[in-house]
Amino acid sequence: MRLIEIDHLRLSIGEVPVLHDVCLEVAPGEVVGLLGPNGAGKTTTIAAALGLLRPQGGTVRLMGGDPWTGGAAPRRHVGVLPDPNGFYDWMTAPDYLAFFADLHGATNDAAAIARRMDRVGLAPRRGQLIGTFSRGMRQRLGLARALIGDPQLLVLDEPTNGLDPRGRREMHDLLLALAEQGVGILLCTHILDDVERLCSRVCVIDAGRTVAQGLLADLLAGQNSQLRFRLELAGPLPQGSAAGGAVPAHVRLLHHAPGHAIVDIDPHVGPPEAWRELFFLGWPIVAIAPEGGGLEALYLALTGGVVPGAPVQERAA
Amino acid sequence: MSPALRIARKEAGELVLGLRGQLWLAVTTAVLSGFSLLLVGSKELSLLDNAQVVYDMAGLVTALGALLAVIAGIDAIGGERERGSLLPLLLAPVPRGSILAGKLGGPVAAWGVMLALAAPYFWAVGSTGQNLVSGMVALLALGTPVVLGFGFLGVALGAWMQSGRTALSVALTGLVLSASPLLLGPSLRQSAIGRMFDAVNPFSAALNGFDAVIIDSQGATTQAGHAAVAVAWLALTAWAAAAAMRRVSR
Amino acid sequence: MKARMILATASLAVPLLIGAGRPSYAASTAAPAVQAVVGEAASLTVEFAPVATNPAAPRMGDRLAFTSSIRNTGATPVEGLIAWLSLVQVDRGHEQPVDLEDWSAHKAIAVASLAPGAAVTTNWPMRLIQSGQYRVVVSAVSRAGAALTPSTFVDFTVAPKPVVESGRVLPVALGVPALLVGGLLLRRRRV
Repeated sequence: MRLIEIDHLRLSIGEVPVLHDVCLEVAPGEVVGLLGPNGAGKTTTIAAALGLLRPQGGTVRLMGGDPWTGGAAPRRHVGVLPDPNGFYDWMTAPDYLAFFADLHGATNDAAAIARRMDRVGLAPRRGQLIGTFSRGMRQRLGLARALIGDPQLLVLDEPTNGLDPRGRREMHDLLLALAEQGVGILLCTHILDDVERLCSRVCVIDAGRTVAQGLLADLLAGQNSQLRFRLELAGPLPQGSAAGGAVPAHVRLLHHAPGHAIVDIDPHVGPPEAWRELFFLGWPIVAIAPEGGGLEALYLALTGGVVPGAPVQERAA
Repeated sequence: MSPALRIARKEAGELVLGLRGQLWLAVTTAVLSGFSLLLVGSKELSLLDNAQVVYDMAGLVTALGALLAVIAGIDAIGGERERGSLLPLLLAPVPRGSILAGKLGGPVAAWGVMLALAAPYFWAVGSTGQNLVSGMVALLALGTPVVLGFGFLGVALGAWMQSGRTALSVALTGLVLSASPLLLGPSLRQSAIGRMFDAVNPFSAALNGFDAVIIDSQGATTQAGHAAVAVAWLALTAWAAAAAMRRVSR
Repeated sequence: MKARMILATASLAVPLLIGAGRPSYAASTAAPAVQAVVGEAASLTVEFAPVATNPAAPRMGDRLAFTSSIRNTGATPVEGLIAWLSLVQVDRGHEQPVDLEDWSAHKAIAVASLAPGAAVTTNWPMRLIQSGQYRVVVSAVSRAGAALTPSTFVDFTVAPKPVVESGRVLPVALGVPALLVGGLLLRRRRV
């Protein structure tokens, strides 16, 4: 059973269409990164997945059920760390966790609460009011709350925000351990390093559409099958280049700005042949340098929107 | 413990034991003390009949309770949303109806504490007169649905409106309008519109009930008509709050 | 000084009380107006009575009104006429003059000149502040006059009404906030 299964989701807030075509899956034991620029629709997608917003089209399943009509039951096995993440500042952390443990029907005796505090590194803060917590401590407490009821699915929005390097490493270790135990994790973050360290799969959303979804390794391999270069230019590109007019078939223009352009070259052709053709078409190239690949390049390529009519990457998984 | 009860306990603790709640209770006692001292300090007011004073104080306590309830209701949803603490609650495996019921725990507890604090004042100003006990029964029976109705109204406005301040402005305008009979009294009933407003206004129903029981010495059980208006108000606002809660998404 | 004034008034009140003995103000109005000679050249009469609309059994907080008519019965004008209202409590053992401060804002009139045969009529409103038996009288005197011209007495009884007792209110009005604030401070100190 998929823990989250979203298929061609469409959703408007008021009269404003926010999601046009979103697909997302999270299976037990995998960490899925949900990526996209600000305003792409990540938070709305999560809200729909958790039954907070009603979809206008497509299907949404949470723990096998409809989160909108299924009431509170599908959320019983889901832990969520939202962003922004507010607390009852006048409570102590153990009181706060005991309150949510009650709501989840989980054990809330002192020993169980102490274990939860210890698990996220908050044991020394037992008697302190939450209002005095730092941002990192609040993130840890939010994670402790999300783990109440031993969820099968964790939905985490920017979980490492405000954490120091050690805290971030501890968070990574904890999440990987949970995934090993079979917990499915949906990680929504802008920190690509977190995604590379934690995620087995990613889903990239841009302007309310899923533009890529699949195993991270496959997506990166797909990107690396191209050879990417940065070209320093002495002047503007020939007319029609942006629309693909003055670009050879085995060269793909990813991005261009005054003074430079980024291109992918089909490895079957080879760069020297490509440079010859570009010079012949009138590209004012003055320098050529290899451009780094990796997740950042993939993300920028997928969400930049510089290549008109570029095909959406197919789901690899 | 049921989730609704657990949430209610949390809300009550926050409102009654939290700093804001304590300040509010201090303000309540200050207002009641001020009113009581006026009754003995002002020669004009000191000649008021005991029953009239008890009636006035019952209206004052109801107004203070409604004000606290509507503010607490708005804060329970709108305030928590602005502080970011509402979403974890919405995502807990608890039905929305239970959250709504629990959220009313704050106004219920505050109203209970307010009645307890007001009791000695009622004794001080009214024990030598008539109908003190039946007046307090009327306050409990008619004031409670009016006050809790304003609590539900606060929840509904807090849920509907994205801004807590806007919700507060709307709520206070409604409360002042509804509580206007406290100041205008019988003059309101001199026009057809005023009489119509008086007939459907829950605050008027409570005040007219207090008048009948405390001043006119009618039995508390004869106030079914006034109680019906107050209970209808409670039901209407509860429905509005439930409808608004279903729409809350963050 | 104040004590001497009260004693002086009380000694003056004694002979008036001896002759009174009327149980209510309605009965007292039947008495004839008093006539007095003022100086050598002028004489005044003062008639004083409650108005017909006064409540039959007044209670604390009710309002009463009285009218007086001061007539110059002499042959020459009366200059600098002053008339004032006096109220005394006549309950047995509590006989004392009453300060009109809270009872009425209408305490006296002044007339510059009252022609022979002319009269000045005045309405005296009053709010009943305390329960008890009372006697009210209007007195007149002129600048050149050598004697006081009093009206007849009007007696009335004010029935008690249950009102707020300051003895109960003060401890509660001051004690409850003090207890609340004290409790909060104690709790904060413990936290």
